[in-house]
Amino acid sequence: MRITVTGASGLLGSSVARALIAAGHEVTTLQRRPSGAEGARDVIGSVTDPSTVTEALTGAEAVVHLAAKVSMMGDPKDFEAVNIGGTRTLVEAAQAAGVPRLIHISSPSVAHTGESIIGEGAGPASPDHARGEYARTKAAGEFIALAADSADFRVLVLRPHLMWGPGDAQLTERVIDRARSGRMPVLGSGAALVDTLFVDNAVEAIVAALDAVDAKHGEALVVTNGQPRPIGELMSRIAIAGGASEPKLRIPVAPALAAGSVVEKVWDLGEHDDEPPLTRFLAEQLSTAHWFDQRRTHEVLGWRPRVSVEEGLEILAQHYSA
Amino acid sequence: MRYPARPATTPPQLPEWDPAWSRIVEAETPDGRHSFHVLDTLAVLREAGLEPEGTILALHGNPTWSYLWRRLAQATVETASSGGRVWRLIAPDQLDMGFSERLPHDSAPTPQSGEVRRIADRIDDFDAVVTTLLAEAAGSADADHPIVTIGHDWGGVLSLGWAVRNTDVVSAAISLNTAVHQPEDAPIPAPLRATLAGPMLPTATVLTDGFLGVTLRLGDLSPETKDAFRAPYRSAALRHGIGGFVADIPVDEAHPSHPELQRIGTDIAAFEHPALLVWGPKDPVFLERYLRDLRQRLPQADVHRFETASHLLSEDHDVAGLVLDWLSSQFPAASDRTADARRSATERPSAAEPTTASAPDSPAPRAVTAILDARRDDESVASVDFAQNPAQQITWRHLWHVTTSIASGLLELGVRPGDRVSMLVPPGNNLTAALYACLKIGAVAVVADAGLGPRGMTRATTSADPQWIIGELPGLSLARAFDWPGRRISVKPLNRVQSALLTVETSLTALSRTPHRAELPTPPAEADAAILFTSGSTGPAKGVRYTHADISALAAVLTRVFDVREGTGLVAGFPPFALLGPAIGATSVTPDMSVTKPKTLTAQAIADAIIAGRSTMVFASPAAYRNVAATAADLDEDQRAACARIELVLSAGAPVPGELMDAIAEVFPNASIHSPYGMTEGLLLTDIDRAGVAEAAETGHLGVCVGRPIDGVELALAPIDETGASADDLLVGAEAQDRLGEFVVSAAHIKSGYDNLWHTTALSARDDLDGRTWHRTNDIGRIDSAGRVWLEGRLQHVVTTPRGPVGPGGLEALIDSDEAVSRSAVVGIGPAGTQALVAVIDAEGTSLSPGLAPLDLAARLRARVAEVDGSDLSAVLVAPEFPTDIRHNSKIDRSRLAAWAESVLAGGPVRGRI
Repeated sequence: MRITVTGASGLLGSSVARALIAAGHEVTTLQRRPSGAEGARDVIGSVTDPSTVTEALTGAEAVVHLAAKVSMMGDPKDFEAVNIGGTRTLVEAAQAAGVPRLIHISSPSVAHTGESIIGEGAGPASPDHARGEYARTKAAGEFIALAADSADFRVLVLRPHLMWGPGDAQLTERVIDRARSGRMPVLGSGAALVDTLFVDNAVEAIVAALDAVDAKHGEALVVTNGQPRPIGELMSRIAIAGGASEPKLRIPVAPALAAGSVVEKVWDLGEHDDEPPLTRFLAEQLSTAHWFDQRRTHEVLGWRPRVSVEEGLEILAQHYSA
Repeated sequence: MRYPARPATTPPQLPEWDPAWSRIVEAETPDGRHSFHVLDTLAVLREAGLEPEGTILALHGNPTWSYLWRRLAQATVETASSGGRVWRLIAPDQLDMGFSERLPHDSAPTPQSGEVRRIADRIDDFDAVVTTLLAEAAGSADADHPIVTIGHDWGGVLSLGWAVRNTDVVSAAISLNTAVHQPEDAPIPAPLRATLAGPMLPTATVLTDGFLGVTLRLGDLSPETKDAFRAPYRSAALRHGIGGFVADIPVDEAHPSHPELQRIGTDIAAFEHPALLVWGPKDPVFLERYLRDLRQRLPQADVHRFETASHLLSEDHDVAGLVLDWLSSQFPAASDRTADARRSATERPSAAEPTTASAPDSPAPRAVTAILDARRDDESVASVDFAQNPAQQITWRHLWHVTTSIASGLLELGVRPGDRVSMLVPPGNNLTAALYACLKIGAVAVVADAGLGPRGMTRATTSADPQWIIGELPGLSLARAFDWPGRRISVKPLNRVQSALLTVETSLTALSRTPHRAELPTPPAEADAAILFTSGSTGPAKGVRYTHADISALAAVLTRVFDVREGTGLVAGFPPFALLGPAIGATSVTPDMSVTKPKTLTAQAIADAIIAGRSTMVFASPAAYRNVAATAADLDEDQRAACARIELVLSAGAPVPGELMDAIAEVFPNASIHSPYGMTEGLLLTDIDRAGVAEAAETGHLGVCVGRPIDGVELALAPIDETGASADDLLVGAEAQDRLGEFVVSAAHIKSGYDNLWHTTALSARDDLDGRTWHRTNDIGRIDSAGRVWLEGRLQHVVTTPRGPVGPGGLEALIDSDEAVSRSAVVGIGPAGTQALVAVIDAEGTSLSPGLAPLDLAARLRARVAEVDGSDLSAVLVAPEFPTDIRHNSKIDRSRLAAWAESVLAGGPVRGRI
């Protein structure tokens, strides 16, 4: 199959591109930097540019849309341009080119309103209630993708939750870096139960979705390891796997939420390249439960996570000791 | 103020309400034509191509409307479309009520005014509507088209009143909380008294919605549901009927409706069709005495009490499901009828012939009092009571005379066969005498464990509704303090002040001096003998009914399985079995101990009891044996020799771990040690001995092994599905092995039913495999390939992970074997079918602090669970405290720990309430 992968310079995108190439597919990638995926046809550019997108979609039989602006902070316009505008551009171009399949990668945060999520399925995206610009714009983007679903343009939305593993800069490296410098806090009891997703499983779920989308489409699925863990325990284990010692810094939840709000505001005033150390959204994420019902995901994708959390931690430890 | 007329209207959009049920019906009542709003499912049924095969006529009370019956409507439609009998529901709103016509009124309602629609009028109104509507469905008059009434509140009386005057068309009657009679000697309930107080009436009921608001708080209703109930009563002009209804309550003989209510009450007593009474005991207006009165008028009635429910019981409990199950038991659908005929052909004909389920070659059990009667001249020792100081020893001859005298005295006092007698007497000679006196005359002993606490005992005793209470001072004081029903009899004579204070009429001592009656009535084998209450560790304690035949069968089991025979001496340290000595002819010795505190039994006390009764057997609980083993060093030479004579040690009440078996063997070196498993509903089901426990430990199975079914017990398994429910079909033999399921048992000595819990009884005994009567135990676990039973917890504690159901007991045994753990509970959190598996560890007795378990312990336990069971342990938590049941202090309350774990794992406080 000829498959176009957008956002293939990131860990997940490049891993998906490599996995598809290894499985014998013909892969085109679209992103702002070279994908680094050997054997892929790289189209360099932005998903916000219609002509670049059209070029990347030439001859494609499926598209995996990973390109997004992922950040805790930033100018709302930037988020809208990529996560809403980019998705609309891609969907329109794909429909115009007669591409029959779209796997749209979204985020569980599109349906997260700050309350605990305890064993629920993928709720509907809610741009009005989503927390922060990223979640809000991803929610709107997901609407665009799902609204385009039809028998001729089959759309499946995957929402991977808290992906981690070797090479992951978003969560894994930050946890390890902060733990190494003694700045990794545990909020409250650290017992809030969260689902996560080991990177290899994420890649395989996306590959499985390309097969599944012909039979089942037009819906969103949260993808996790199906092994919820207390957030404090998991962060500690990731830190230890990365060679750091067990985080001992404990912060009560209420001050953390307040501090998150303050830090966000202060951060907004200054000029920063980095993410703020704590946001209210992050404090909420780290102190409330969010784990999911995976039965529908398994049924639709015909996929099961191959690497368990414990095996993933072993792999991570080997990665960092090498 | 004037109250204008208004024709019937239809309700707006309401939750749980299908507008297709609503219709306006014009009917000719004695005072003219009126329009009624009626909930009628006929249109919906016909839309689905279904024609009614039965009709339910439902009548609401005050101040509700037919919205009260929405769940029954929904349930009947669902049953009809899934192949059950097609029941049509007709539920009119009464005139001046709901969305029915508002009659014109010139003034506010008062009890004597002509503005009030009377009971007699309302029965006529109901008649007019239902007659009109029944005529619409062609089959309504057919013989196999049952017509059943149901009512609630004053709608209960009205519907019963209509039913008893139409017995030619009515096949059965059902009522929820209602009252048909106001006894002259009892004040009307306080809340009504306040409302009825003269000038208050219109203010409380019509001018304000106070009465409506108060009523809607008598159930756990959502704001949306309350709104729906209020919908037809938005303004004072629409509420005249609420006041009118209250004004028509016949509070005294001078009231205009008093004669009519009296007539209905008399008529109801002549109603001979099946009846069902559904009751919420927390109702502040329709009190227990009204239920008692109804049961006297309708002795054939089945009763189901929802112990935690108040007036609006159908809002909080599945009354619709109960009603439909009861109806299908009374009127099986055409498709069920063949199955039912097949069942009744093989069913054991009555409890009087329980041999179907017992071993084929065992003789028919003797009457419970047969041996006692046969030994009336025997001067050997029947019973020794160390609870009395000095110890009291009585002969068979003495026991026969005392029980016969007390029995005669009870009859003279007015005790009738079938009367219930609450026993507030600790085990010992007094209890034995009182119990066997009751058994002789067919009075039913009610026994509730003091471990239930005053509230639990009050609830239990009230639900059993005894006519009599026999008690020691503490029990009688409790009975007075909590206003229990029943006339009082003390054990020993009381002084005049105490007697007056506790309203005690006589004493067992006085009754034991009664001259013998020539002939005592002989209770039939199928008559009730006892109501034993469960421990109430999973909701309100349930009364378990045992007939004389059941007790005889239980005594026969002790003989057949444990060789307890006439002349055997046994030390009775475990209450249920302590009472069976006279039925078997065994000499029972009550040791010096507090029954509610088994830990008070010492080795010396047990040895003295052995010596006194020349005993060869000891029955006690594991907690008692633990203390016996701990105090064994105090035994002197003679006592040690006495213990060495013991041949059988029986430990009941909870499983006995191997090390305790070994400790018991040190004290009783020549005894075989057995630990049977059972429950209040079936006291002896399986058995395991010391060798069996050791053997089971070798197998590596998870859970607690309770051995194999005893002779006469059939064991089946109802497999548990991914939602945690047990299957309808039972498995036996090899098919039942090595899979998680609920244990289902059949034996001659299991319960006959639950008391005043029709639905619970029906559900627990719903199986009919091999034509036997079965009991669903609610206990779960596995049967191994050698036929051994392994317990893994209770059905409601099954964890439903995405991989399938998990029994907590097995994994707990695995986790408890870790050196850092003293005890644990395995619980599931999150929605059924996708629960996360969590281990909660007791902080007490360990060095762990509450919260997340240390990383190394969590990792170790997670790896063990994954290796042995394949399950994924999401979290390991350490709880600051571990709630256990009151009676045994051993059953861990997994439900409370699960709620705590769910809160902590959602970011809640660790030190929160468990």
